[in-house]
Amino acid sequence: MKIEEIMTKKIESVEADAPVYNAIEKMVDKRLRSLLVKPKDEKDVYGVVTVRDIVFKILGKNLDPSKIRVEEISSKPVICINRDMEIEHVISLMNKFNIARVFIHEGKEIIGVVSLLDVMAAALIERAKGGRVA
Amino acid sequence: MLEKVFSGGKTEQKVIENIKRHIKILCSASDCFKKALVERDKDQMLCIPDLEREGDIVRREIISNIYEGAFLPFLRPNLCRFVEIVDEAFDVMEDAALEFEYLDSESDREMEEDCIRISDINLKMCEMLLIAFEALFRKEDLREKNLAIRIYEKKVDEIKLDLIKRLRKREVKNFWEGKILSDFISYLTHVSDVIEDASDYLYIMNVSLR
Repeated sequence: MKIEEIMTKKIESVEADAPVYNAIEKMVDKRLRSLLVKPKDEKDVYGVVTVRDIVFKILGKNLDPSKIRVEEISSKPVICINRDMEIEHVISLMNKFNIARVFIHEGKEIIGVVSLLDVMAAALIERAKGGRVA
Repeated sequence: MLEKVFSGGKTEQKVIENIKRHIKILCSASDCFKKALVERDKDQMLCIPDLEREGDIVRREIISNIYEGAFLPFLRPNLCRFVEIVDEAFDVMEDAALEFEYLDSESDREMEEDCIRISDINLKMCEMLLIAFEALFRKEDLREKNLAIRIYEKKVDEIKLDLIKRLRKREVKNFWEGKILSDFISYLTHVSDVIEDASDYLYIMNVSLR
């Protein structure tokens, strides 16, 4: 199964210089675990900010999320793959880099995201169909 | 146990083959529904009432064969109920198809994409239901098949929540436009609930036969 069959095309993003509080609001409203962080300029690259970043780097340290910018806690660059990559390769990639999501790109644009939960669901469906994932 | 229950008599085989046919017709209807949505073709959607009628004929035959004495008595009501639930999926899909006929073709792109995604998942759920039904007669455990159907249903639920959120923000110009759109989405998203019910019923049969 190719990754494009299971990727989520709707990606929510946040500006790199926005306050972390904006990211928190978006995550709570849309029940998301991560947001794509837009590049600041043409030389910059996409990043990602996750609930882990917010909890461990801001809330856990009792810092004010409205005074810290998203780019200060986000990770970049993001791990990107092609849309035709097979799921088993994605699983190895996630395992190797210990990451919970990978982004799918087309040229310079990010067109989708796949989380561990998406991979697990796809793998279970493949098993139910009688196929093998890896 | 299963060998005794599904003793493989002529009538039993006929019922099993007809139930498979019934589910296959549901798959065809889901496929046709998806294609009509993708191509925005209201004429193509007319295949749904046709397939629903075909499904009705098969359902009547299955029920008659069961009441003529196919299968052990304790299994008959369960099989009949399963067939009735599959038939309900046809009815809900037909309701959605009828609403589609009156739907304003200028609905927004994002909403249209979501509806296509839901119809695609509905099709995959029907295919998985067929796999699960066939597996029942191979004495397999249906747990994984049932889980796969639940995963699909959860996806539809997520899209539905998002769709409804956006629908509520949409300006409604007249009563019927709003009602038709709302009903179309309700019926479209209800198909997966019914298929999940059918899958649960199949799983219950699977467990009760162990």
